[in-house]
Amino acid sequence: MEVIKVSDVWKSFRIYHDKGSTLKERILFRGRNHYEERWVLKGVNLSVEQGESVGLLGENGSGKSTLLKLLTRIIYPNKGTIDIRGKVSSLLELGAGFHPDMTGRENIYMNASIFGLTKEDIDRKLDDIITFSELSPFIDTPVRTYSSGMYMRLAFSVAINVNADILLIDEILAVGDVNFQKKCYDRLRDLKRQGTTIVIVSHDLSSIEKICDKAVWLSEGSIQATGNTKMVIDRYMQFMNRKQEDILKREQVRKEGRHHAGSDGEAKEADPETGRPENDPNRWGGKEVEIANVRLLDSNGEQKYSFAYGEPVRIEIEYVSHTKTDEYVFGIGISDRDGIPCYGTNTRIDGLKIKTINSKGKIQCNIDKITLIEGKYFLDVASHAEDGRAYDYRKNLYEFAVTSPVKDTGIARQEHQWIID
Amino acid sequence: MELYQYREMLKNLVRKDLRTRYKGSFFGFLWTFINPLLQLLVYTVIFTTIMRFDIKNYAMFLFVALLPWIFFSNSLIGSTGSIINNKELIKKIFFPREIIPISVVTSGFVNLILSFVIVFIALFISGIGITPAIVCLPVVLLAVYVMTLGFSLLFSALNVYVRDLEHILGIVTMAWFYFTPVIYQVDMIPAKFLKLFFLNPMTPITLAFRDILYYGKAPDFTILGINLATGVLLTIFGHQVFRKLQKNFAEEI
Repeated sequence: MEVIKVSDVWKSFRIYHDKGSTLKERILFRGRNHYEERWVLKGVNLSVEQGESVGLLGENGSGKSTLLKLLTRIIYPNKGTIDIRGKVSSLLELGAGFHPDMTGRENIYMNASIFGLTKEDIDRKLDDIITFSELSPFIDTPVRTYSSGMYMRLAFSVAINVNADILLIDEILAVGDVNFQKKCYDRLRDLKRQGTTIVIVSHDLSSIEKICDKAVWLSEGSIQATGNTKMVIDRYMQFMNRKQEDILKREQVRKEGRHHAGSDGEAKEADPETGRPENDPNRWGGKEVEIANVRLLDSNGEQKYSFAYGEPVRIEIEYVSHTKTDEYVFGIGISDRDGIPCYGTNTRIDGLKIKTINSKGKIQCNIDKITLIEGKYFLDVASHAEDGRAYDYRKNLYEFAVTSPVKDTGIARQEHQWIID
Repeated sequence: MELYQYREMLKNLVRKDLRTRYKGSFFGFLWTFINPLLQLLVYTVIFTTIMRFDIKNYAMFLFVALLPWIFFSNSLIGSTGSIINNKELIKKIFFPREIIPISVVTSGFVNLILSFVIVFIALFISGIGITPAIVCLPVVLLAVYVMTLGFSLLFSALNVYVRDLEHILGIVTMAWFYFTPVIYQVDMIPAKFLKLFFLNPMTPITLAFRDILYYGKAPDFTILGINLATGVLLTIFGHQVFRKLQKNFAEEI
């Protein structure tokens, strides 16, 4: 049975530049365009069957939260219709109507009644709610004495015990500690088993993958893909990777432009000593062997700024040598966005002895499989003398991202399997 | 009906309002009674010693009409800003938005009924007492509730779009107060204006309260009936307007 039917829904918001809501302004500025019409949803069609769990994905501003708000009837579409069968509970805002001076118990009654529950309903569920929240020792103290975690736990416990036919959730599964979160997931799965229809908006793709049977990808107000969760997430991630690459590329171009003060690579070579500002805090050394450029390439030899976890990465370093010495050392270093070093090595550490190099050339460092966890990283490249003195150290020279559907934590993933007896 | 489904919410909002309004103040809930009594004191001093009305037991004459008026004007002012004051709730969660102004009016109404306890005590002390006409009181209470609700629904919804309403309301209720026979007798109104005064829906209500409690006689049921019907129509109209306007509440506030 179809419980949610969204047909050709259009929604626009007026972005007021100078909002007039007093009578004077209304009359004086009537007909004047003090706002711009922004279409947030452009003809969205969606059908959800009873018991289905649907995840809405999309970038910020793609319209997914707006769609969710339309489903809860907080706002209404400009065009099109939304039919919903059954009782809706939304976890858009936790703790609606909580009053700090009222006790936890009183607030349960208040909050649950906003969801449309009657006194008898709440009486019946009270014990479940209190047990679920793990707050029974504090339930008769005013909620202003609660920690924010306790507050959220209480709020979530009410919302999830409301027994709705349709549950709408917006990015709130990060409630409480790990144990409580697990309980929430378990509870969602229970509800799913009991036939509750669930619609979730989240940026956390792994939680969508865990719960949803179906995903919908919204982009700029229209649906890009609907269907199997894995398939939609894949397509969405591909899109996001490409997009991120574009952004990083643009940033890189801008940075290079700044670094070289308008001069390109050729001009730099022709005039190594004077052509570039010496006050760059991210570069030091005697410049006997200069790092001219660095690129990160994928397996097809194309320059990229974003790599999927496990992809091969080729680091290509262009150098210009102005000196003769016994040994040349080239090194790389990767740090994360907080500046924490993640990995570093050089040719000497790896047992290579480079006796001679051309006056101008390329060095490659091939990483078979990038095992950093998802995040943004910076690459340092350097050329050294034998004794470790830097010829040319270039910090944060290249910015790149690693994407992964798995949200593990730390720096690098350790290949592993779980075995459960 | 959806509103009925949400009755528990209405109950809780009313209870919350009654319990938390005077939170932190020394007299607490007693303010519900102290405020009207102080107003009564001021008017009584002025109209019995300075601008002398020749009305027997003026304090009681005023008191029985002043309380419903305070309910009316406070509810009106309270509900007009109520949608905007509750924007966090309205922006974040679905519920029938009417609940908000209805809860404002209802909590005021509960206050009114509680303060009638004092009216009854005062009626005995002043020697006026209570007559069988008291059985008509629920009808008048209903009339004033319905009338107030109608205006409140209308004003609360309109104020979201035209915020001036909130600001002009202070002077409007003040004028309205003086053009309603609360502090004076209806026969002090010049005959040629009397018809106009009866266009004011608060006039029959005020007179009915006074008839029942001060004069101890049954009110004019024809006028009261018309008034009640007007109130019902106004409430239906106000609700329709509210329903239409509420669709954009979340975006406008």
